[in-house]
Amino acid sequence: MTALLLAGTALLSGGCAVANSAGGDAGSTDGRTLRVVLTQEPPTLEPCEASLTSTGVVVRSNITEPLVERDPVSGDLDPLLATGWKQTTPRTWTFDTRGGVTFQNGEPFTAEDAAFSIERAVNSDLACNVEGYVFGDDDLKVKTSGDNRLTVTTAEPDPILPLRLSFVEIVPRTTDTKAKVRIPIGTGPYAVRDWQPGAAISLNRYDDYWGKAPDFPRARYVWRSDASVRAAMIDKGEAEIAVALDPMEAEKDTTVAYPNNETTALRLDGREAPLDDRRVRRAIDMAVDRDGIIDALLGGLAEPAAQLVPPGVVGHNERIKPTRQDVTGARALVREAKADGVPTGRTITLVARNGMFSGVSETAEALQYQMQRIGLNVKVRMADTATHLQYQLRPLPENVGPIALLMMHGNQAGDTAFTTSQYLLSEGPQSTFGSKDLDRRVAEAGALSGDKRQKAFADLLARQNRTVVQYTHIAHMNGLLGLSRSIRYEPNSATGDELRLSEVGQATAARR
Amino acid sequence: MFPFLRKRIVSSAIPLVFVVLGVFFLARLTGNPVDLYLPLSATPEQRAEFSADQGFDLSIPAQLWNYLVDAAHLDFGTSLRTGESAGGMVLDAFPVTLQLAGVTMLLAVTGAVLVGSLAAYRPNSLVDRVASLLSMTAASIPDFWFAIMGVLVFGVGLGLLPTSGTLGGPEIWILPVATLLIRPFGVLVQVVRGSMVTALSAPYVKIARSKGAAPRRVIFGHALRNAVTPVLTVAGDLTVGLVNGAVIVETIFGWPGIGKLMIDSILQRDFAVLQAAVLLTAVTIFALNILVDVCHALTDPRVRQAVPA
Repeated sequence: MTALLLAGTALLSGGCAVANSAGGDAGSTDGRTLRVVLTQEPPTLEPCEASLTSTGVVVRSNITEPLVERDPVSGDLDPLLATGWKQTTPRTWTFDTRGGVTFQNGEPFTAEDAAFSIERAVNSDLACNVEGYVFGDDDLKVKTSGDNRLTVTTAEPDPILPLRLSFVEIVPRTTDTKAKVRIPIGTGPYAVRDWQPGAAISLNRYDDYWGKAPDFPRARYVWRSDASVRAAMIDKGEAEIAVALDPMEAEKDTTVAYPNNETTALRLDGREAPLDDRRVRRAIDMAVDRDGIIDALLGGLAEPAAQLVPPGVVGHNERIKPTRQDVTGARALVREAKADGVPTGRTITLVARNGMFSGVSETAEALQYQMQRIGLNVKVRMADTATHLQYQLRPLPENVGPIALLMMHGNQAGDTAFTTSQYLLSEGPQSTFGSKDLDRRVAEAGALSGDKRQKAFADLLARQNRTVVQYTHIAHMNGLLGLSRSIRYEPNSATGDELRLSEVGQATAARR
Repeated sequence: MFPFLRKRIVSSAIPLVFVVLGVFFLARLTGNPVDLYLPLSATPEQRAEFSADQGFDLSIPAQLWNYLVDAAHLDFGTSLRTGESAGGMVLDAFPVTLQLAGVTMLLAVTGAVLVGSLAAYRPNSLVDRVASLLSMTAASIPDFWFAIMGVLVFGVGLGLLPTSGTLGGPEIWILPVATLLIRPFGVLVQVVRGSMVTALSAPYVKIARSKGAAPRRVIFGHALRNAVTPVLTVAGDLTVGLVNGAVIVETIFGWPGIGKLMIDSILQRDFAVLQAAVLLTAVTIFALNILVDVCHALTDPRVRQAVPA
């Protein structure tokens, strides 16, 4: 027994040593540290991977900054490290960069750094995610003149190049070009002080920041994968901000719902019977009870969807209304298809991803039931991220039968071109089929700007619903943020991907 | 003793080899992780380069050979997810789990011996019935439910304990250890009780009692020594389960242990980290099994004698 107690004392003292050495946790309230609890640890803070949500939510506009940024509310482009920009020829844009800005290592920011950052993120062999999601296959030509003038030339006319460049975070030209960096240096209001793997990331306010100094001198990120623990940390006063809470927390006065630009939909693989029949695809669209799913399974925190982009995104079509559930009409369409020899009894696999959103498995089961009600044969397969990606991305898996993929698309860029290039083109990376007519319209709309661009994209979204029917749109989602009463912060549609710490202030009166 | 040890080491090493090889092959059956790590527009050349960099373009036997040669040099490769040394990540995470498991089993065994012995001393008494009820309840409670209720009641409701995390004094250990402890404690109380009831009814215990030995001496001096073998076996199995990863506790309380690391590695197809983690836990479980066998042999001479030289 004595030996046991001695062993216990040794274990406990050793344990406390490890616990304390892990040191980076939410920590105690000191009023000077802004504590944020995320869903997972960022795999990296590499700026060229900032289009990944788990990386971008820490890096973007906190540690590093782009040349321009999109106002998530108005949709306008605001100057950041560029003070102005203009299209000088159809393929050329010129940017004037901001003077008097320094990186967190003390080096001055110049147009050379901007050119270097674009080369590194878009033209290099680093295979950055921002390259894949935002830029096409063509490289950009970048040139500087003097310290503050940058010229970017595209292979084809690109009316939204400044918007695309809002995804390129600017790093100093001394940054590694052969390998991705884990901890970045930027011009943002906060610099990385410490990253304790598995425990916390700590930031310090950058005192020489060119803009308005943020309220909090320090910030600390921790991560808890369980939503109820994240909510409990707000209730207990262990964190000021908690992301991605469950709808069941929505009634609390410490939570705020916000539209997060994510849209859920069923992507129907039109290459395989019975989904190769448009009547069957339309019947599925008519079978879905969007209001029921939103009320019962999504906590009311969503809006019925009729297209892949939510309001506020250039190209969103306000005239398209969500399809009303019509089980009788849907059954008639399936019967008609069956009478014409379509094998409507063939099993359709509804593939969904665990953890895609709160209530995803119940939503998949509800969709299965609603599709079976109209005479289709459906089985559900819940998959992990890697397996779901195999179904989502080209090359699509072969010999797996007809697939209805429950997916969630987030258009954070604010322009439908980023959606159509992926999801609507016949050979789009995340599309199963399409039509030549739609392909042509996507290309034409992409070359337009202003009101013509808005109308062209809105029209082709409506046309998708009429002629192709690859998607059964379900809901435009809302996120739920936990906010301590000690701070004031207004979340917006970009919050899930870009939580700007400099916009968080100490509460002086009622928060909202 | 040495023939016994040699035989146990050989028989325990065989499953170790199968586990390591099994994880290697099964992980690769889930496909090439290139889709998870490269952008959608990655060119075929970039995909090929990524595969070549990571050695995924080689045949499976060639990959296995490289893995075994590198592992022999304690080089487990680089994490696809973080770019860090896979071995380093595993070595950072493992002490957290080991300490959780160690503290948990120490408390579970100590508590179970005390409660189980008391219950067995007077079978069917009030103490016995209460101990049996509580131990069966404890062994049946789902750990994720207990953890969440602990956070809500003791963290948020009463405000006595931190909800989660690894920073602070002894209080940060209470909820994670209590969550891990409850099931092993319940199981071990029942094992100790059953084993002690048998031991306490043995003739040598009756003789000790008739000679006027104090209850404490009867229980801990005579009966417990003979009742400890099944307790050691069950405690060993329970410890193996904890060392394998206290995934629920690590996930809910944000403890960066080996179980969470393995789950993340599986989900992210991070083969290097997964293989390093499985190898380390398999070796540890191998060592634990040997330790339990040695303890058996030390406490029960019949075990040593049963093994031919």
